[in-house]
Amino acid sequence: MARRDYAQDRESIKTFLSEYCKCDDDGKKEFVYGSQLVKLAHREQVMMTIDLDHLAEFNESLAEAVIDNCRRYAAIFSDVIAELLPSYKQQEVHAKDALDVYIEHRLLMDARTRNPMEQRDERNSFPSELMKRFEVGFKPLSTEKANSIREVKAQHIGKLVTVRGIVTRCTEVKPMMVVATYTCDRCGSETYQPVNSLSFIPVSDCPSDDCRVNKAGGRLYLQTRGSKFVKFQELKMQEHSDQVPVGHIPRSMTVLCRGEVTRMAQPGDHVLISGVFLPMVRTGFAQMMQGLLSETFLQAHRIICINKNDEISDKSAELTPDELEELAQDDFYERLATSLAPEIYGHLDVKKALLLLLVGGVDKRPDGMKIRGNINICLMGDPGVAKSQLLGYISRLAVRSQYTTGRGSSGVGLTAAVMKDPLTGEMTLEGGALVLADQGVCCIDEFDKMADTDRTAIHEVMEQQTISIAKAGIMTTLNARVSILAAANPAFGRYNPRRTVEQNIQLPAALLSRFDLLWLIQDKPDRDNDLRLAKHITYVHSHSKQPPSRVKALDMNLMRRYINLCRRKNPTIPDELTDYIVGAYVELRREARNQKDMTFTSARNLLGILRLSTALARLRLSDHVEKDDVAEALRLLEMSKDSLNQIHEHQKGHVPNTSDRIFAIVRELAGSGQAVKISDVMDRCTTKGFKPDQVDKCISDYEELNVWQVNMGHTKITFL
Amino acid sequence: MHSEFNLPKIPDDLLVDPVPNWKELLKDSSKWHSIPILNYTPLHKLKDQTLVRFRGMIQDMMDPEIYLERYEVKSSDASSKRLQQGKYRDCLRVKQGEEIDYQAEANVHGERRTLFVVSIPGLNDWTKQHEKECSPIQELATESQNVNQAKKRAATEQNDQEHMDVDETEAGPLKKQCVEELQTVAKGAASTGLAKDYLLNSPLPSRPSMACMVKVYEDFDSYQLNTLVDFVGFLSVDPALDASSLDMEALNDMESLSELQAANPSPFLIPRLHAFGVQRLPHANPLLDQSLLQSNEEAIASPDVIHKDLRILLKLCLFDDDLAAEYMLCHLISTVYSRSEMQSIGKFTLNICNLPKECLEHYTTKLYQILELLLPASHYLAMSLDTMNTSAFAPKKDYETNKLVSGLLQLAPHTHLVLDETRLQQGKLEANGVQAIQHLAHLINNQQLKCDFHFYHIDYNADIPVLILSEGRSMLPNDFAVPLNADSKAVELVEESLKAAHHYLSQNGRLQLFRKYLTLARISQFTVSEEHTEMIQQDFVDMRKANVKSNADDLHGLLVLSRLLGIARGKDSLDKETWQLATEFEAKRRQRLQSLPKSAAQLRN
Repeated sequence: MARRDYAQDRESIKTFLSEYCKCDDDGKKEFVYGSQLVKLAHREQVMMTIDLDHLAEFNESLAEAVIDNCRRYAAIFSDVIAELLPSYKQQEVHAKDALDVYIEHRLLMDARTRNPMEQRDERNSFPSELMKRFEVGFKPLSTEKANSIREVKAQHIGKLVTVRGIVTRCTEVKPMMVVATYTCDRCGSETYQPVNSLSFIPVSDCPSDDCRVNKAGGRLYLQTRGSKFVKFQELKMQEHSDQVPVGHIPRSMTVLCRGEVTRMAQPGDHVLISGVFLPMVRTGFAQMMQGLLSETFLQAHRIICINKNDEISDKSAELTPDELEELAQDDFYERLATSLAPEIYGHLDVKKALLLLLVGGVDKRPDGMKIRGNINICLMGDPGVAKSQLLGYISRLAVRSQYTTGRGSSGVGLTAAVMKDPLTGEMTLEGGALVLADQGVCCIDEFDKMADTDRTAIHEVMEQQTISIAKAGIMTTLNARVSILAAANPAFGRYNPRRTVEQNIQLPAALLSRFDLLWLIQDKPDRDNDLRLAKHITYVHSHSKQPPSRVKALDMNLMRRYINLCRRKNPTIPDELTDYIVGAYVELRREARNQKDMTFTSARNLLGILRLSTALARLRLSDHVEKDDVAEALRLLEMSKDSLNQIHEHQKGHVPNTSDRIFAIVRELAGSGQAVKISDVMDRCTTKGFKPDQVDKCISDYEELNVWQVNMGHTKITFL
Repeated sequence: MHSEFNLPKIPDDLLVDPVPNWKELLKDSSKWHSIPILNYTPLHKLKDQTLVRFRGMIQDMMDPEIYLERYEVKSSDASSKRLQQGKYRDCLRVKQGEEIDYQAEANVHGERRTLFVVSIPGLNDWTKQHEKECSPIQELATESQNVNQAKKRAATEQNDQEHMDVDETEAGPLKKQCVEELQTVAKGAASTGLAKDYLLNSPLPSRPSMACMVKVYEDFDSYQLNTLVDFVGFLSVDPALDASSLDMEALNDMESLSELQAANPSPFLIPRLHAFGVQRLPHANPLLDQSLLQSNEEAIASPDVIHKDLRILLKLCLFDDDLAAEYMLCHLISTVYSRSEMQSIGKFTLNICNLPKECLEHYTTKLYQILELLLPASHYLAMSLDTMNTSAFAPKKDYETNKLVSGLLQLAPHTHLVLDETRLQQGKLEANGVQAIQHLAHLINNQQLKCDFHFYHIDYNADIPVLILSEGRSMLPNDFAVPLNADSKAVELVEESLKAAHHYLSQNGRLQLFRKYLTLARISQFTVSEEHTEMIQQDFVDMRKANVKSNADDLHGLLVLSRLLGIARGKDSLDKETWQLATEFEAKRRQRLQSLPKSAAQLRN
């Protein structure tokens, strides 16, 4: 590679800074860096961030050169800015701090006393670092992918890299000397020493002409007021668990932050850090002993907390067009659902519900009223129907999750604990399971075995999404925005159809109503299912791998990223759907009154429907809830009720088939009239949990039986 | 200096041009076992930079190191320059009046990894004894060496002497120095912030293991946590590597002090090894290890005979209970042979329950004594409240020192864990105890070890067969609970039976045969033919029809059991007979479970 002509680069940087502009919406030119330079000149801004996207637009090879040799170009940029600044000064600047005053004084004095022609000692002139009151940082190209720490290798030394990880440790912010200023006790002249490394050796002999010529042996004294310091912080970051290959230990990396990038992250933050990867010059013991070794670190240019800022995501988390295409197939909803715990057969509706739980509903309504968006689901069922497997799978799939069993967890595990710091004696709050999984999923197995006190804490979590702690004189409320996924065994070993839901699980109705969906998973011997299960298991045992299935299950990682993508959408419910939803709800209530339902219908169900439908809209990556979403939400609700009631119906010994049930609905809808609109039928049936194709089938079945007639346009049914 | 049949004596031997093919040389197991084993050789008998081996389990992995693979050294008057190799070494080799030129164009940087390896935790005494006998240095020390080896040793020493003359500046600590240093370490450990136990990081604190920091130079990603490896490389015990005696005031950066100390412990406590030869061990049984010196003449007797003998032994130990003996045998040869996203297939957690109350006190430990004799590595854990509440179970990352602090569940594959639930008293389980139970349950259910990295957990695959001994049914999850069917006569005679068992073992070299048999059975292959698969599927469907409560887990259990029963009988594929045996055993076991007295909780159901 040819050596770059730095002088030429310098010129182009100058042009870039002064001339680069973007057109805003009104077609006006906006000088992105010009305006910042003015602010820098007026000391209103400290950090100058150069967006490499802009630079690449201006001069692509220059941007590449910056990425490859970042430290050098940072220095060039800094010099160019320092050069440009005076011309951007539009008014007199008031001194902001002692250093400003100091610099001003020295400059004035310098101008007054010195003969401009006089040759001056290099050391006695003002170093540029002292005069610069700004910092330069680079923002990486938006196409740049975030690396994991183990991907950063020796070949990245000197380059601008972006890494993703979690901060495990950070030091206090300390001042670090950039320029040391000394005064001579004999001649009074000042000496400056720029410091580039982590440590420096102070100068002691005055290098000024006066002292040197006279051999006065002037001693230098460090002057704190005149020296320049920057904020300095050392971070340790570690790979995130999803970046660690199986059987390996997470890698860590040291990050040095200076100036404005300090105090950006705290331990536990998920961060994206862009910076220059550099070898470190260690002193003292490390150098003595490990002369052979060199440590490396990342000089941070930009730190972004991913957990605090959902808008800025890292590139690696986004889906490639191929993956999107794979997901965008027609049956993606079904495919996503079947890909949940693929080794568990059937239970498609339960899986769909769990998928919606992962995606979650929208948290806030547009009118500002705060309503929980997280979906809570409770799975009930006989022992050994793979409830625990489903829970285990969800807790592994969810990005933030906690898996506990009701029995094995004490109060500390499920709520939060007040701890005393042994060193400082401070009381600190340490969150337990629910708080740690804030914005995540909390899976509680054996929910029925849980102690009552812990369950009371769950009440608050489920509706208010907070957790209150009153211990050791500290009263506080912590956020616990979690979805609860609970699994419970029936109280009497197996589900007893003759008793109500509450009796069967021995959970208070107040708690049960807080679940958006309750599912009863049944285990019925069924030859085909059993054979399929047996085939699956024997295959796994004899071939040591999962059998190839008809529908290829989606990769867990892909699912995770897709769900993440969905969670960023905030769909709204259009007004025209309100009537439909209200109608459906009223219908639900009426039905609950009429039939002696084993479940219950309350206002919470209405909210549940809204949550489910917004989650469905999210799943489609849409900004608006559509009628189909609501219909599907209603269907799921109906199916979940059915799963509870079905067993009772079996008891009666009469199972009307779907067509019969749809017919009954149509009959009811028609009332005394002779004709019904098909769209009405469709609406009513979907709210009751039937699929459109089932309705179509029913219509054609009964048409064949000559019960009714369908008109040519397929819009109306007339009874004969 | 060396012929192509000799092993390298100093690191530079590895770096001559052309690079000799040491890997080929090391494939010869006699060469491999001629190298002294660091585990069993006192450190003061070894010199710095000698060739040694270390066998152990990878306990932790450190961040990569960038080091100077080749560097230029110039004399301080800049009159002469020379190149120096940095590979396989820790210290710079700079003579008096020389300094290293960091800016030299000829410098080459390389990458290496440090693995924290501990000697296999839970290794039983006979295993250690056997390995020790195989270490060549030991033979020299006992003066029983043959003439040939004596010559070789003399030659080695001479070579070393020459080498020292050439490289006089190199800090080659002589024996005396080492001994002195050892004493100072003992003193120093108390004064520094980090305790010796903390640095050694033994998974089982009651059975301390030896630690060694192994630096590897290639195939970084092939090393996995908790696997067994045998490294060959150069020992490095330069006292300059010690950071524990560091002058605190000289270091302005206090925050990284403990990290520095943890990363640079005294080399006499934790020696360094620069590895160039690696052998991954599929098991810890030294009797089957080619690289260990042994008399391997007698062919293994027919597995059928051994199987019968072993069953007789186990029956003796288990109150004359044949069914329990069968299950115990299956447990002893079980291994996780397949993993999918959710399941670990092949695990065989056995719960021997219904132990007779009369002999609870001593029986469990005595039973363990027999198991200990049979297995290369195992650990007995008395689940007392105190142990549960205070011991560290799963490894936890300490960010102060950047170390993965071990826990007693960090065991090598095939290390049997025997949990004695009869030692559990009534009382309060503290938070640690609750967690310990959760970790145990997680291990049993998934054969995965959950390591705590504070901000998140990472699961590491494990293969630790767990045996739970309990009075009633165990509170921990398990795959097979077998209630003992002890008649009163057997209970009375249990002391005698166990004594007889010991006697039985000592006869006809049975002990060695059993040890080999168990390990061989564990690593043998087994297949299920298509026709039998269909039979099994049909059986399952019928089973479901007959009993609604039977589920997928039962089928998994049956498949694993039939596989192990088959392997134990020396078969390599499933036949009808074995399958029927398995179903029969399961039926018997279920029956016994049914007849157990019901607890209050079960009665409710």
